[in-house]
Amino acid sequence: MKKIDLEGLDISAYTETLSNGLEIYMLPYENKNNYFISYATRFGSDVLEFEKNEEITKPPLGIAHFLEHKMFEQEDGVDPFTYFSKSGTDSNASTSFDNTQYICYGTKEFTKNLKYLIRFVSNPYYTEENVEKEKGIIAEEIKMYQDIPDFKLEMELRKSLYKYSARRIDIAGTIKEINKIKKEDLHTCYRNFYVPNNMFLLIVGKFNPEEAIEIIKEELEYRHKEKLPTIVEKEEPEAVYKTSKTLKENIEVPKIAFGIKIPTKKIKMDSLELDLYLNMITTILFGSSSEFRERVRKKKLLNSLYMEWESITNIKTFYIMASSIKPKELIEEIKQELEELSISKTTFERIKKVWIANEVKMIDNIDSTVNNLYDDILKYKKIIPNKIELIRNMKIEKCNKLIEQINWENQSIIRMEKK
Amino acid sequence: MKYIKKDLGSFNLHLIKTKKFKTTTIRVVFHTPIKKEETTKRNVLTDILLQSTKKYDSRRSLTIESEELYAADVSNSNHRLGNYIFTSFTLQSLSDKYTEDGNLEKAIEFLGEIIFHPDFTEKDNIFKEEKLDIVKTNATVALNSIKEDSSGYSLIRACEAYDKESPISYRMIGYQEDLDQITPSSLKECYQKMIDNDYVDIFVVGDYDSKEMLLLIKKYFKFKKIKKRKAPYLLEPKKCRKRRLFAKETTDNSQSKLAMICPLSKLTEYERNYPLTLANLILGGGTDSKLFKEVREKNSLCYTIHSMVNKFDNILIIMAGIDRDNFNKTVDLITENVNNMKKGKFSEKDIQIAKEFYNTAADEVEESEYRMISEVLMQEVLGLEPLKDRVKKMNQVSKSEIVKVCKKINMDTVFLLEGVKNEEN
Repeated sequence: MKKIDLEGLDISAYTETLSNGLEIYMLPYENKNNYFISYATRFGSDVLEFEKNEEITKPPLGIAHFLEHKMFEQEDGVDPFTYFSKSGTDSNASTSFDNTQYICYGTKEFTKNLKYLIRFVSNPYYTEENVEKEKGIIAEEIKMYQDIPDFKLEMELRKSLYKYSARRIDIAGTIKEINKIKKEDLHTCYRNFYVPNNMFLLIVGKFNPEEAIEIIKEELEYRHKEKLPTIVEKEEPEAVYKTSKTLKENIEVPKIAFGIKIPTKKIKMDSLELDLYLNMITTILFGSSSEFRERVRKKKLLNSLYMEWESITNIKTFYIMASSIKPKELIEEIKQELEELSISKTTFERIKKVWIANEVKMIDNIDSTVNNLYDDILKYKKIIPNKIELIRNMKIEKCNKLIEQINWENQSIIRMEKK
Repeated sequence: MKYIKKDLGSFNLHLIKTKKFKTTTIRVVFHTPIKKEETTKRNVLTDILLQSTKKYDSRRSLTIESEELYAADVSNSNHRLGNYIFTSFTLQSLSDKYTEDGNLEKAIEFLGEIIFHPDFTEKDNIFKEEKLDIVKTNATVALNSIKEDSSGYSLIRACEAYDKESPISYRMIGYQEDLDQITPSSLKECYQKMIDNDYVDIFVVGDYDSKEMLLLIKKYFKFKKIKKRKAPYLLEPKKCRKRRLFAKETTDNSQSKLAMICPLSKLTEYERNYPLTLANLILGGGTDSKLFKEVREKNSLCYTIHSMVNKFDNILIIMAGIDRDNFNKTVDLITENVNNMKKGKFSEKDIQIAKEFYNTAADEVEESEYRMISEVLMQEVLGLEPLKDRVKKMNQVSKSEIVKVCKKINMDTVFLLEGVKNEEN
């Protein structure tokens, strides 16, 4: 077990990788009553096709999410939700593009619940009947998301930015595809991706790390490292797939989605550093204290704005999603901001100060700490102990150099209008 | 957690001391009896106060100042509890130990600036027309986008069908006709009324010196008038309809949203605060509830289904996302489950699980500044006993008490926001 002090945060993390490849990340708190456990696999909707031992498998779309739902089916008939409930513990699961996680959080019975979480995720039980039963539930889930205009807008943007990537497809798949799912498909994916060397455990809050490690070893050390399948994917082109699209939807106020696709092969920065600098650029350009925001607010062009970065192999994409009564003008403003891209030293230093303060604030809150660590583990395969130092050492010269290396005109724009 | 309440005449100060956080959180809560025509104005008011102040003349300069104060966050909210509207301004600032000496005081001053020094015109001392225009445009957009959150919209429509006169049905987002009438001077009046007449509670959560904090609060929050409470917080219970009301609206969505309003007749204070909480948890509180198991897991009728209780309004609400073809089947199944509760068809184990969930929630109160504030506020307005005593009492609630309260659940209004879109997926 390795101890890692988180710089400036008065707290230490512990990590260990078992010989079978299972990664364990723990952040015990001394002054909390509650704990949070996540057991995750690096398997999500990004996997459309995979190859192992010269055999190619192409499961129906939405398989990872379907599998997540069906994990809650246990041979002994005990529903995991009910098991956790006995100690007033909440449990849930979620599937994303690049991972699936099973979580429980509460204040009591830590050891029993940790053991149970590991056991239930280790024991799939699929029958034809229980697979069929889930189709109606997931169909309603898919429909629920499709009725959310912002969700649809984001999906459309991904379809325009990417030509081949699985990000073009809803994580939950389509109703047509999930109806094809058979229990054998679930077994194949489970066997290939729910293996120790593709999984990790993250535990945060009130618990004893030594005790936790012991339980994890007892439960999982006997399992072997497995050969992981190769994911079959076409290389995503550097250019956006489509530059613009307009759709009509059940909305009153128009919406826009603005995307920029950035190939990263030629940029000489490690992934974490690159993420920090890219995030800095867009925070300065479009963040809550930006000149852009003030300008569009005064012109009454902006009603809400949401922005985010996303990574796939060799590509990073930046999204802006907004509602505006004057979408055309707003798009022009965004374009103009990117054309005249410049960053002031004062703003750069101020945002660094904000980020450092936010790191300190975040550690107070278990939920946001969990999310933050989980993201880092997925993206960088480790906990970052010196994030504050990394932020403090960011240089405006590096930022400006990066700005020049990027083709900011590689844009895709979606407009959503009233039907 | 150490809690001290100080009555400072024009407001109550609640000092909640804890070493759990690196931040200090201050929430100023204004509350006053709600009027339908004023909800819109309140929203516009809280929004405009966060756009600019006398000292910081734009949203940008206001944001920059909060960033300079080591990301001191200021946020606001409006919500209704029973007969009252609550308007809150919340500041969260890192303690000086993590920033620099005097930063917290500056942050408190900043919150005071937002509340007490609006960006008024030099000439008439009213809100500025151009700032109001921006806020009104945003409010119009929010009003026009109300149906985008179909679940929230179905609940609003269900409440309106249930009783359009009751505060239950007031749209907290406001109304276009009221918005159109807001002027810089009418908004100024609304502001002045809030400052002068609303009851004020100030909550401070963090690790600080009580004496110093008291001085800081007195220095930056100067409320003059002493107010006496008028109306009760709880709504009067309403009689249930003799026949169930079915109401419907169609929308161009794939999924339909079901919202059921169930009035609770003549609850005692004990029932409201104890057996009712457990009854709701067992019926539709979470993934182990009757509704989740029966309607979703056994019958695959929905992805989301839950029930919730509104103690202040004497109602229980049941919501689900369903296919329109399954409407009757779902309503029947929900009714059957509520009836089963009334017949006592649930086990001691179900009760124990509900109690454990309550205990966990109680254990977690101290883990969040906001939950601590809400706990103290609820003690204040509902006259609740301290949490520790409530946990003890809750764990002693018997099955017959839960059955008794379930018998007071009346199925009154069933609303369906019917999704009529047929699309190949």
